[in-house]
Amino acid sequence: MLVQPYLIRFAVGTAALAAMALLVGFDPAIAGDKKPDAKQKTAKAVPAVPAKVQQSKEKVAVVKPSTEGKQLGYLELANLIDKAIDTRLQAEKVIPSERADDSEFLRRVYLDIVGHIPTAEQAAAFIDNKDANKRAKLVEELLASPDYGRHMADMWKSLLLPRNSDNRALQTDPMTKWLEEGFNSDKPWNKIVHEVLTATGEQDKDGAVTYYVANATVDKITDNVTKVFLGVQLQCAQCHNHPFTDWKQTEYWGMAAFFMKVQSTPPQMAARNGSSPEVKETNQPRRGRNGLPDSAKQVPPKFLGGDEPKVKASDPLRPVVADWITSAKNPYFAKAMVNRIWAQFMGRGLVNPVDDMQDGNPPSHPELLADLAEQFANGNNFDVKYVIKAICNSQAYQRSSKPNSQNADAAGELYARMAIKVLTPEQFFDSLRVAVSNGKAPLDPPTVTGPRGLKFSPRTQFVQFFEAEDGSDPTDYQNGIPQALRLMNSPQLNNGQAAQVMIRGKSKEQAVEQLFLTAVSRRPKVKELEMVDKLMKKEDAPKVYADLLWALLNSSEFTLNH
Amino acid sequence: MNAHQPLFGLSRRDFVKLSATGVAGVSLSGWMNVLASRAAEAGTKHKSCILLWMDGGPSQKDTFDMKPGTKNAGDFNPIKTAVPGIEISENFPKFAELTKEATIIRSMSTAEGAHGRARYYMHTGYKEGIGGLVYPSLGALASAEIGDPQNPVPNFVSIGARSFGSGFLGPKYQPLVVNDAAKGVENLKPLVGDTEFENRLDLLKEMEDAFYHDFQAGSSHAHQTTYDRAVTLMKSKEAKAFDLSLEKAETRDAYGKTKFGDGCLLARRLVETGVSFVEVNLGQWDTHQNNFEKVKELSGIVDPAMSALTKDLKQHGLLDSTLVIWMGEFGRTPAINTRAPKPGRDHFPRAWTSILIGGGIKSGQVIGATDKEGAAVTDKPVSALDFMASVCQLLGISYTKQNNAPNGRPIRIVDKGATPIKELF
Repeated sequence: MLVQPYLIRFAVGTAALAAMALLVGFDPAIAGDKKPDAKQKTAKAVPAVPAKVQQSKEKVAVVKPSTEGKQLGYLELANLIDKAIDTRLQAEKVIPSERADDSEFLRRVYLDIVGHIPTAEQAAAFIDNKDANKRAKLVEELLASPDYGRHMADMWKSLLLPRNSDNRALQTDPMTKWLEEGFNSDKPWNKIVHEVLTATGEQDKDGAVTYYVANATVDKITDNVTKVFLGVQLQCAQCHNHPFTDWKQTEYWGMAAFFMKVQSTPPQMAARNGSSPEVKETNQPRRGRNGLPDSAKQVPPKFLGGDEPKVKASDPLRPVVADWITSAKNPYFAKAMVNRIWAQFMGRGLVNPVDDMQDGNPPSHPELLADLAEQFANGNNFDVKYVIKAICNSQAYQRSSKPNSQNADAAGELYARMAIKVLTPEQFFDSLRVAVSNGKAPLDPPTVTGPRGLKFSPRTQFVQFFEAEDGSDPTDYQNGIPQALRLMNSPQLNNGQAAQVMIRGKSKEQAVEQLFLTAVSRRPKVKELEMVDKLMKKEDAPKVYADLLWALLNSSEFTLNH
Repeated sequence: MNAHQPLFGLSRRDFVKLSATGVAGVSLSGWMNVLASRAAEAGTKHKSCILLWMDGGPSQKDTFDMKPGTKNAGDFNPIKTAVPGIEISENFPKFAELTKEATIIRSMSTAEGAHGRARYYMHTGYKEGIGGLVYPSLGALASAEIGDPQNPVPNFVSIGARSFGSGFLGPKYQPLVVNDAAKGVENLKPLVGDTEFENRLDLLKEMEDAFYHDFQAGSSHAHQTTYDRAVTLMKSKEAKAFDLSLEKAETRDAYGKTKFGDGCLLARRLVETGVSFVEVNLGQWDTHQNNFEKVKELSGIVDPAMSALTKDLKQHGLLDSTLVIWMGEFGRTPAINTRAPKPGRDHFPRAWTSILIGGGIKSGQVIGATDKEGAAVTDKPVSALDFMASVCQLLGISYTKQNNAPNGRPIRIVDKGATPIKELF
């Protein structure tokens, strides 16, 4: 009982770490013919790795999707998901947790699809609804909401636009809006990515050019394209042959070669001139100020792990690489995306971490990943909502997060119970806003003009205050003392008024119920009513309700997506 | 460790005690008692670091590497200091008396001339984005390597700016950011009365216990731990370190009664309670225009603060165990630009100056030299890595030690190629 929580957390977070360590410390042969260098020796002291990972030391054969050539509906795909998950559970003799109750499912699916919790009324309506199909219908309803696109845009903006010192003057709203529209209008994923990769012109006219403005040098864009769209961590290969995988330096620069002719206005310059940053692809590769690092190699453009396309020196190169990346035949593209979608909902990727797809980091369910990719790319025209519907209608997704007597220590990759994710700062802000205003306030607060005339949004300021590091695990809790202090003691979150408004005109039982439904989308348990009664003996009712709301909003139950 | 311990560990009596002693009313003697008992417990000398971060890149030719009589010497004259042979700008009269405690490094030479990347580089010793990792700031490293984990105050405190975070070392070593030293840590006091706050904590504890019992989530435990630390800080004696009103008015005056001066005073108080690393920010050094007026103004802020800090640390017996660093991300051009009506100097990483004070260094000296105009280093070039390695060594951190990044890659505290500056030891 004592050590359990650590095992659960570490099983999820360090499977990949252990895999990497295995490569470095236990078998130099993995790195091909490269001589093990001094660094590898020091990594020997690492946790033991499960036997399953050791088997994958050989080159993994490409797994053929069992549904190749077929077109599955989302319910059929959901069944396929469950078959794959259950098969492994049975093989490992792990009993999965029971189905999540309505409250658990409701709050989880709201957070995962639209990025915020339901109101008290929405929660009560769903829980009391007797329709046997209510869960499936809720998924459809949420996918049709504009908040879906908003939530996806928030996530993808963070992936595509790195937060670094060069980008401090960068306006990111145009990209967020562009992404939001794309997701909400059901634009197929391959089209979205192709448009981003070939975006040209001024940011005012095409928000997608922000991508190149934010990744302004050849190495930055190469790193991001390969990591985010192909799920491959190439950055190490920028300067030397990758120590853990087979990627050579020439592979890196072969991909980088496609972006050598891109020019973009630096954000600080555009801000100073009051103009909109512009992106274009010229006829000639830029020299000097293209920000080429010392490690740069001039090689002809070459697809990652693939051929050198025939191109004329004066042709634009981005459309060529965009065509290759977004093709249904691309070996990485569809897999990388379905893996990310899977991780968004299930708390960890089938390949984990999601941006590290390589032989030394195999998927937990290889056939499932292949089938998801096949149905996404070939069966259903890169329809993102299709994949989401399949996942959300599966039993695996609808499993409770509570462990049973047997599976508390089961490895996360078995999906014996739903992983517990931490609310992102955006989800947290939006959910607090929904809770405190009972859904009446619009999700985006009005912008405020700051001291230097800069407009900023309280939401942005909040998000920055709570922001975790880039690329952190969704199940990792990142808040520090300043965040905790702010949540406990800041005026906005100590709004006694909010509690009073919520419970106005209600009896004690109704009031307590309203507060629970508002914050954690469920009705209070008997023990919790007793707890409130006890407090009522010490304090006046208004104080009790304010205290209860405070405790609920500061609780793990509110902060976590379970 | 029993993860199921009672939350916060606070009894009603603890809370009554807290409100009785209150925030006001702890005299200096009270502090000395705290200090004495800690020293008795610890036995060994515990090192701390105060980084005075001069954001924007201070001009070395107008501060600590004067070139009188040369073409672009600028508006200021050098003055003698307590160490014969060492001269600094006339705008640092107070510090001139204290050069026996300092070592001035005039041969800093780094290649990074862009603010963002140079700041990152000088804080972490790594180039931004290399290898796809976020590297820990020096403060986070100090917190992790030499910080006392029992300290209720986080061991990395950043005053006046966010600094750089703990990167792959994780959230435990993130800085506690204090925007304004005069205001202290924000949200440290509950908005309701003590009794009601205790009732709230009781409610929260019951909910947390029940949630943990049902879900057994590591993240829930982390949440509780963070809240625990926050509440511990709220009720701790050490939190009073953040209350500058407990200092005598003369003391605050001596530091200059500026935001930066207050920050330096707060840094001294934090070091007294055992915090390993405090960073105090002073910006606006990026004097492409109006170099001389601005540098004079900023020098006027630094001089009393840095001097009072040095004297204060010495008086409290903390100077030997506290390393004070004065530096920015680079220096400024030997040449003066006349683009704007008020002349300025531009970025110059090739040859610039940093200062070390206390911390057990061999002091009262200058290390390195630049040529007549200050355009190049002529003696003992010091790279960013050399500098970081030296600081680590002075603080008792092994600069060759490796930490594991999330991708499994071992990362040295200071990258390969670093040589500590032997003249410091």
